[in-house]
Amino acid sequence: MSGGLIAAVVAVFLILRLWRRRRPRVARERQARSGLGWLSSDVGLVAAREVRERVRGKIFRVGTLLILAVVAAAIVIPRLDHGTAQPQRVGVVGALSASLRAAVVTSAESVGTTVDFVPEADEAAAHASLRSGRIDLAIVDAREIVVDQPIGTAETSTAAEFVLSTSKQLGVVEAVEAARLTPAQSSVLAGAKALPVHSLQPGKASRATPTTSVIGIILIFVMLSQYNTWILMGVMEEKSSRVIEVLLAAVLPIRLLTGKVLGIGLVAFAQAAVIVVFALVLAEVVGSDLLHGTAPVELASTLAWLVLGYSFYCWVYAAAGSLAERQDQIQTLALPLSLPMIFGYVMALTAASSGTPSAFFKVLAYLPPTAPFAMPVLVGLGAVTWWEFLASAAISIVCTAGMARLATGIYRRAILRTGGRVKLREVFARAAG
Amino acid sequence: MGGLLELEGLTRRYGTLTALDGLSFSVPAGQVVGFLGPNGAGKTTTMRAVFALTDLDAGMVRWDGAPVGEAERRRFGYMPEERGLYPSMLVGEQLEYLGRLHGMSAADARTGATTWLERLGIADRTGDKVDALSHGNQQRVQLAAALLHGPELLVLDEPLAGLDPTGIDAIAGVLAEQARSGCCVLFSSHQLDQVEDLCESVTIIDHGRLVVTGTVDDLATSGPRRLVVRVEGDREAAWALGLAGVAISEVYGGAARLVLDPSVDSESVLRTAMAAGRVTEFVFQRRRLSEVFREALG
Repeated sequence: MSGGLIAAVVAVFLILRLWRRRRPRVARERQARSGLGWLSSDVGLVAAREVRERVRGKIFRVGTLLILAVVAAAIVIPRLDHGTAQPQRVGVVGALSASLRAAVVTSAESVGTTVDFVPEADEAAAHASLRSGRIDLAIVDAREIVVDQPIGTAETSTAAEFVLSTSKQLGVVEAVEAARLTPAQSSVLAGAKALPVHSLQPGKASRATPTTSVIGIILIFVMLSQYNTWILMGVMEEKSSRVIEVLLAAVLPIRLLTGKVLGIGLVAFAQAAVIVVFALVLAEVVGSDLLHGTAPVELASTLAWLVLGYSFYCWVYAAAGSLAERQDQIQTLALPLSLPMIFGYVMALTAASSGTPSAFFKVLAYLPPTAPFAMPVLVGLGAVTWWEFLASAAISIVCTAGMARLATGIYRRAILRTGGRVKLREVFARAAG
Repeated sequence: MGGLLELEGLTRRYGTLTALDGLSFSVPAGQVVGFLGPNGAGKTTTMRAVFALTDLDAGMVRWDGAPVGEAERRRFGYMPEERGLYPSMLVGEQLEYLGRLHGMSAADARTGATTWLERLGIADRTGDKVDALSHGNQQRVQLAAALLHGPELLVLDEPLAGLDPTGIDAIAGVLAEQARSGCCVLFSSHQLDQVEDLCESVTIIDHGRLVVTGTVDDLATSGPRRLVVRVEGDREAAWALGLAGVAISEVYGGAARLVLDPSVDSESVLRTAMAAGRVTEFVFQRRRLSEVFREALG
């Protein structure tokens, strides 16, 4: 969704404007001094350090490899199962005419498998073979199909579809034979094709499946949780190691924080890009259909809201990190911070599964804390217009700018207060005082 | 180089506590200025105010007559009371990073880091992580971080805390050298008498207010005379009790440190001491900074 990407660019632009307006003279001086632009500014230096230190860390490398391994497993394992599927072994008790054999082969092809016929001496022998798993189904005297486990009509496994298809095919062949049709008539019947279906409403051929929506929501939730935890920890570590006072003597808090969230964001989205590209390439190579049917619009919307969600939450987590200076304090802070995300996540999963978003859910799509989860679902369900999408993105950008300002204020007042967890009440009391 | 740091009417309140109460003083270039006062006097708050690390309720910090802004602060060097570096970052990289934040080019920051690590005797630790260094060596890296960009103003909060005499000498040498090169040097200490030899001028504060400021020589030589007298066999200095115009400020190791009123004739003191026993020490001393502080407070 180009609108979402434009919205994300506008978010970054507004934040840049915010700090430039605070110190226009200094910003101009810095730009004039530096030939390399923002990369050699303090924001760029802070961001570059974050990138370097994160990528260098063992946790990041091992974590990325683990995620790639899980993604590879999720894509390859179903294909392994699919690709090496054994031919369906059909036990035959008694005679099976050539036309019936042909019908069995046809039904196997229709569900994407092949058939091995296994002669069975009698019904008892066929039952024994079924129980031992030597055969998948038995056709007894061309009048009955026997399987080991009952099969529901809604089952979608290849074996179940094969059994159901074979059962129908054999029934049709038997009926044709019973009707004593001429070979020409039989041929006409065998060549029967389903009638095309046309709908009055315009089609949504590229509509993503609910599964794809769910994958997108999970992606946003996991990534926002992980990357924002990095920010929380990163800010806390600078406070607990006391290096923060040295840094703030040279860099304004807004620029230090911007560099930090930018650096961590770059690493985060680079990691996300590596994972997505890896998944797409691997899915293409092994012929997985896991990502097929994903609408480009929904993919772009998911990515745009990943950016917008990160932009909003990164400031919240940065402010929270400045209140803590120990690991246990971080854990106390992390839970309440994650509640809006968990709420949005659960609501989005529910809406994606049901396919019918409630009015309440549509409201959530306009609130910056829950919009990153709710809006992509609405896009996936086709329940939102482009201007509604942009309105939600605009609300999120404005709130992100406000949150950046608020977070910087909290950060500036709390980051140098050591000796225990700083309460928000104390921060605002000092601000008022 | 050369500049003048002026602090004018700095006021900072934390609820009912007044940390700074209209504090004003200045720090000229080319001198090592000691910023002294007991614990809780407001030294750290003042130093933080120079770097805008604390909000001021009133007052202004000026550099060369103009309000201190971000560009000026990047030309200052700061060593905070609570030392802090990235524990898992390499020493050399960390110094280079901090140098660049102060506006240095990458090459200059690298050169500056190497120069200062060599100067402070820890060049061999450039490639080590900070948390692998001893406390003293971490302190050296911290000092290098404050110095490597060639600051016009150097502000060090309690730089002598936790140092052995060798470390103190090393710091003193660096501070004197920086001042000679035209840098404005301000360092704080709560141990008033420890820094007499380190600085040319001092500013002493208490409860956020200026107590006294001036050159060490002026402060030490002004005020009542100090006379140290040791009389053999009288470890409690009982001989000096009741001497008119003479106060005993301290008795240590059998010697009495006396404070004489201007009207008191030191020869009469000597005669009284000789009458009490054999006099083994009779020497005038300079006023200590702790005495300057106490006497200024009355």
